[in-house]
Amino acid sequence: MDPSRISLRRFQLSDVDDFLKWASDDKVTRYLRWNTITSPEDALTYLEKIAIPQTYRPSICLDDRSIGYVSIKPGSGDDKCRAHLGYAVSAEYWGQGIATIALKMAVSDAFKEFPGLVRLEALVEVENMGSQKVMEKVGFLREGLLRKYGFCKGEIRDMFIYSFLETDLIK
Amino acid sequence: MGEITLRPYEVSDIDEFLEWANDEEVNRLSRLEHFNSKEDALCYFKEVVIPHPCYRAICLDGRPIGFIAFEPGSGTARCRGYMGYALGTKYWGQGITTKAVKTLTSTLFKEFPGIERVEATAGLDNKASIRVLEKAGFQKEGILRKWMVFKGITTDVLMFALLSTDPPVSTS
Repeated sequence: MDPSRISLRRFQLSDVDDFLKWASDDKVTRYLRWNTITSPEDALTYLEKIAIPQTYRPSICLDDRSIGYVSIKPGSGDDKCRAHLGYAVSAEYWGQGIATIALKMAVSDAFKEFPGLVRLEALVEVENMGSQKVMEKVGFLREGLLRKYGFCKGEIRDMFIYSFLETDLIK
Repeated sequence: MGEITLRPYEVSDIDEFLEWANDEEVNRLSRLEHFNSKEDALCYFKEVVIPHPCYRAICLDGRPIGFIAFEPGSGTARCRGYMGYALGTKYWGQGITTKAVKTLTSTLFKEFPGIERVEATAGLDNKASIRVLEKAGFQKEGILRKWMVFKGITTDVLMFALLSTDPPVSTS
């Protein structure tokens, strides 16, 4: 994949059709904390109420068309030093290194966007080998396995915790 | 050694509370800040200790000498909770904190039925705390880099967890 074709930008309501194409796919939302979106109305609501207002929740675009998203959300109060990373890419475009390209951009954006941010972390379920490979290629460090860490799709899951520090950027 | 028990704190415990909470060594190793006055401590009692879902005094023969607390998560984190503790310096080295942790974890999963995971963190060089968690049956899961702000600096911590399904440790 030619990296210049991949970009990150804020979602627009006009992305609704492209967004729905991948957000309605169970394979894509399988490990996400939000559920598959099946109607254009729900897609519009999601874009309007969640994706667009968030400080950092851009669309991953291929030739400026939405094929996924990245989300970076810092904690509050004492936890402002760390932020949680989430992302998804349309199944149609898996296996081409797109997530790696997009996340490398997002990671360097994050430390600029959130001053005081020191640590980015991501939780990846044990079965989600695809995402584990992406994390490693982007330069995240796997720190351990957190057992019965949290709910995903109604079940308590074990999750690997990965981190990327601001100081890792210099390497 | 006398009897170690856990019970909720009461406002009348304020002097005993201050004795360990303002202990320099305790302040150095925990996130608890020094209280400049009894009024500040009473404020802390009112705002943090009393409304807390699970904040207990570690007692020696009924007298508070430390604290142990458990904070359950919510939303997708509702299956887990975070445990913290501290003990007055003059009581260190006698297995009291370990006893307190084992006592709390032996009833925690019944008291908080949705909880399947209790987690606790320790600074990498806090050998005493690390030993407490190991003796209490917690499993070390990894080092989380710059995870916690401690005295204004982001620090690495060791993550430990005890699951409801982990083998029980005797409270003796």
